[in-house]
Amino acid sequence: MESLVVDLSQYLPILIFLVIALALSAAFVFLPMGVARLTGTHKPDAEKLSEYECGFPAFEDPRSQFDVRFYLVAILFIVFDLEAAFLFPWAVSLDMTGWPGWITMMVFLFELAIGLAYAWKKGALEWE
Amino acid sequence: MIQTLAFYIFASLVIASAVMVIMSRNPVHSVLWLIVAFFNAAGLMVLVGAEFIAMLLVIVYVGAVAVLFLFVVMMLDIDFAELRAGFVKNFPLGLAIALVLLAEMVMGLGAYKAGGMQLGTPDGTAAAAVGASNIKAIGALLYSKYLFLFESAGIILLVAMIGAIVLTHRQRGDTRGQVISRQVARRPEEATVNTQPEVGKGVQL
Amino acid sequence: MEFQASLALVAPELVLSLSGLALLLAAAWGGDKASRLISILAVAALVGAGFLAAPALCNGASGPDTLAFGGQVKVDAFAAFAKLLIYLAAAASLIVAPAFFERVKAMRAEYPVLVLFAAMGMGIMVSAADLVTLYIGLELNSLAAYVLAAFLRTDERSAEAGLKYFVLGALASGFLLYGMSLTYGFAGTTSFAGIHAALAGDMSKGALFGLVFVLSGLAFKISAAPFHMWTPDVYEGAPTPVTTFFASAPKVAAMALTMRVVVDAFGAQVQAWQQIVMIVALVSIVVGALGAIGQDNIKRLMAYSSINNVGFILIGLAAATQQGASAMLVYLAIYVAMTIGGFVAILMLKDANGEPVEQIAQIAGLSSHRKVLAVCLAMIMFSLAGIPPLFGFWGKFLVFQAAVQAGMVPLAAIGIAASVIGAFYYLKVVKVMYFDEPANVAVGKSDWAHQALLAICAIFISPLGYLLTGWLGGMADKAAAALYFVG
Repeated sequence: MESLVVDLSQYLPILIFLVIALALSAAFVFLPMGVARLTGTHKPDAEKLSEYECGFPAFEDPRSQFDVRFYLVAILFIVFDLEAAFLFPWAVSLDMTGWPGWITMMVFLFELAIGLAYAWKKGALEWE
Repeated sequence: MIQTLAFYIFASLVIASAVMVIMSRNPVHSVLWLIVAFFNAAGLMVLVGAEFIAMLLVIVYVGAVAVLFLFVVMMLDIDFAELRAGFVKNFPLGLAIALVLLAEMVMGLGAYKAGGMQLGTPDGTAAAAVGASNIKAIGALLYSKYLFLFESAGIILLVAMIGAIVLTHRQRGDTRGQVISRQVARRPEEATVNTQPEVGKGVQL
Repeated sequence: MEFQASLALVAPELVLSLSGLALLLAAAWGGDKASRLISILAVAALVGAGFLAAPALCNGASGPDTLAFGGQVKVDAFAAFAKLLIYLAAAASLIVAPAFFERVKAMRAEYPVLVLFAAMGMGIMVSAADLVTLYIGLELNSLAAYVLAAFLRTDERSAEAGLKYFVLGALASGFLLYGMSLTYGFAGTTSFAGIHAALAGDMSKGALFGLVFVLSGLAFKISAAPFHMWTPDVYEGAPTPVTTFFASAPKVAAMALTMRVVVDAFGAQVQAWQQIVMIVALVSIVVGALGAIGQDNIKRLMAYSSINNVGFILIGLAAATQQGASAMLVYLAIYVAMTIGGFVAILMLKDANGEPVEQIAQIAGLSSHRKVLAVCLAMIMFSLAGIPPLFGFWGKFLVFQAAVQAGMVPLAAIGIAASVIGAFYYLKVVKVMYFDEPANVAVGKSDWAHQALLAICAIFISPLGYLLTGWLGGMADKAAAALYFVG
C-alpha cells in the first residue's frame, strides 16, 4: 500500500461539488412540492392523478423493439472504448516503458485497426 | 473523517441503487439505476486509492456496458408484468437463497473476526514502481512485463468483434454507402440540365 | 536479448496470430467465395506453427531456458506435445468443414480465422506458467469457441448450443477467476513456481478453497462430471465440424492445463487435489457410461463417450506420477484420433439428399450399403470401448498401469469394471449397424477429404497403431519429464 501515491485531498473539490449539487437539485425538486402543498389545496382524485395527454388515450406501450443492429454497434463501441481506456496508462507511463512500451501499444492498435478494417469492409458500420 | 463520511455516502448509495435496480418496474429504469450504482462504486474505488479502476468504471461500465444493457433491454421487448407474475411462486426459493447468502455472510464475518487468516505476502514480482501514481504504475507493468499478455488480450478483443459481426451482421442490399470515386467523377454537365420550357408546358426530366 | 529469446519461444503463437490477422483481411475482401482458399492457408499456418513447436518436443526441452516473458510462459516439451495435438485437431476440423457448411450455404470465411485464434489461445493455455497467462489463453479459446458453436446462426439448435455454452462457460470462468484470486491472495503471487514455493509446507484453508475452485473451473472446460451438463447439448447442437473441434483440441488443451496447474502450482499439495481428481475421474466414468445408454442421437452419444474418456484420462492424473502423466499424454493422442475419426464418420452419414443423419436408429443395417464406413465406425466404437487389439486399449492399459504402480489398485479396479459397462453402448451402435434391419437412410456420397481423414484415423487406431507405441511413448515420456522437471 505504501508504494501507492494517492492524495485523496485532491478529490475534495469534486466531493464538495457533488454534495452541493445533490443538495441544490434536491431542493429544486422538493421545495416547490412542499410549498405547493402548504399554500394550495390538495384534493387528489383519479382523474387528476392520471397523466395528462392531449389527443387519444395511450393505446400501446411507447417502447418499441429495437433492431438487433444496435447490438452490433454497442459491441463495437465497447471494444473501441476499452482500447481507448488502455491508452491512458500507456500515455502517462511512457517515460518508464520507453520505446518497447510505445511499440507494444502500436501493435495493440494495429490488431484492432485490422478489426476495424474488417468491420468496415463487411459493412458492419453501415446503417441504411 | 471526511473519508469515512464519503465512504458511507457512496456505500449506502450503491446499496440503495442496487435495490432499485431489482425493484423498479421498468427495465429501462433498472439500467439507469445500475448506472447510478456504477458511479458510486467508482467513488468507492477512489476512496481505496484505485483511481484507474474508478475511471475505468466510469468510462467502460457507465459509458459502454450500460449502453449495451440499455440496447439489449430495448431489443428484447420483455413483458415484465408476465415475468413478475412468477414472483409469489418463486418467493420461497428466493427467500431460501437469501437466507443461505445471509448465513454465508455471518459465517464469513465470524471467520474474519476469529482471525488467523494467513494471507500470502506479495513476492514483489508485480510491485508498483515506487513513487509512481496508480495509473502510471499500471502502465509501467502492463506495457513492459505483461506485454505478451496485453497483446493477447488485444486478440481477444478482436475475436469478440469478429464474433459479434459473424453472429449478428446481415448483408443488406438497401444500404446506401458512399462511393467517393463516383462522387468525384461527377461532372457539372451530368448534374445540371438547362431547359427553356415553353409557356404553359411542363418540363420532362 | 532476453526479449528476443522470448519472442523466439512463442514463435508458434506469433505465426498463428499474424496469419489469423492476414486471413481476417482476406476474409473481408475475398468474401465467402474465398473460404476454401482461406481454410487451406489456415491449415498451412497450423502446420507451420506445428513445425516451429516440434523442436522443443524432440529436444525434450525443459528448465529455465523454456521460460519466456519473465516466467509467464513456459514452452517446454510438455507444451510442445500438447500444441502438436491441438494443431492437428484444429487442422482436421478445418479440413472437414467446407463440405459440411457448403451444403447449407453457410461456409463463411471467418470459420478458419476463428479456429486459428482458438488454436492460438489453446497454445497459450498449455504453455501457461502464470495464472494470468492461463486465464488469457482460456478466454481467447473460449470466446472463439462460443462463436463457433453458434456458427449456423439460422439453425435454432446451433444458436441454442452457442448460448448455453456461453452462459455456462462464463459461469465456469467465474469459478476459475474466484479460485485464482483466492490462490493469489493466499500465495501472494500469480506465477506457478511462486505458488508452489509459497504453499509448500502447510496449506491454509483459504488456499485449499482456491485450489477447489480452480479445479472446478478446469473440470468444466474438460467436461468432467459433475461439471459435464453442457456437453451433450452443445455437442448435439453445434455444427458437426465444430463438434469435432470441441471434442478434440480444447479437451487436450484444458487437460494439459489441468496437469500443468496441479503439478506446477499445486505440486506440493498432492494429497489435496489427488482425492478430488480421483472422485472426478470415477464420477465421469460412471456418468459417461450410464448417460450414454439411453441416447438415440449419435452426437449426444459421442458427448457422453467423451465424458467417459475424460474420466479414464484423469485416472492417470490421480496417480500423480510422471508415469501417469506420460500415460495421459499417450491416451490423449489416441483419444484425439478416435474422436476425430468418430466425428468424421458421423459427418459422412448422409441421406440421399445430403442431409446429415444423426439418429442411431437411422443407421440400422449400415453394413449392407456402406461397408467401409460401417467397418471404420465399428472400429472406432470398439477402440473407444478399449477392446483389444485396437489402439484405444493401449491408452487405457497405460493409464491403469500407472494407477496400479502408484498403489491405487481399488481405483484401477473400479475403472476397469466401469469400462465394461461403458462397452455396452458402443457395442449397441455396432449391433444396430450390423444386425438390424437395414433402414437405408444413410446412403449419401461423401467428400474425399472426409474419406482420407477417416482412413488415416482408422489406420492409426487399428492394431497397426501398436507399431507407433515406442515412438509415441518416447515423446510422451519426454513431455512428462519436462512437466515434472525440477530445477
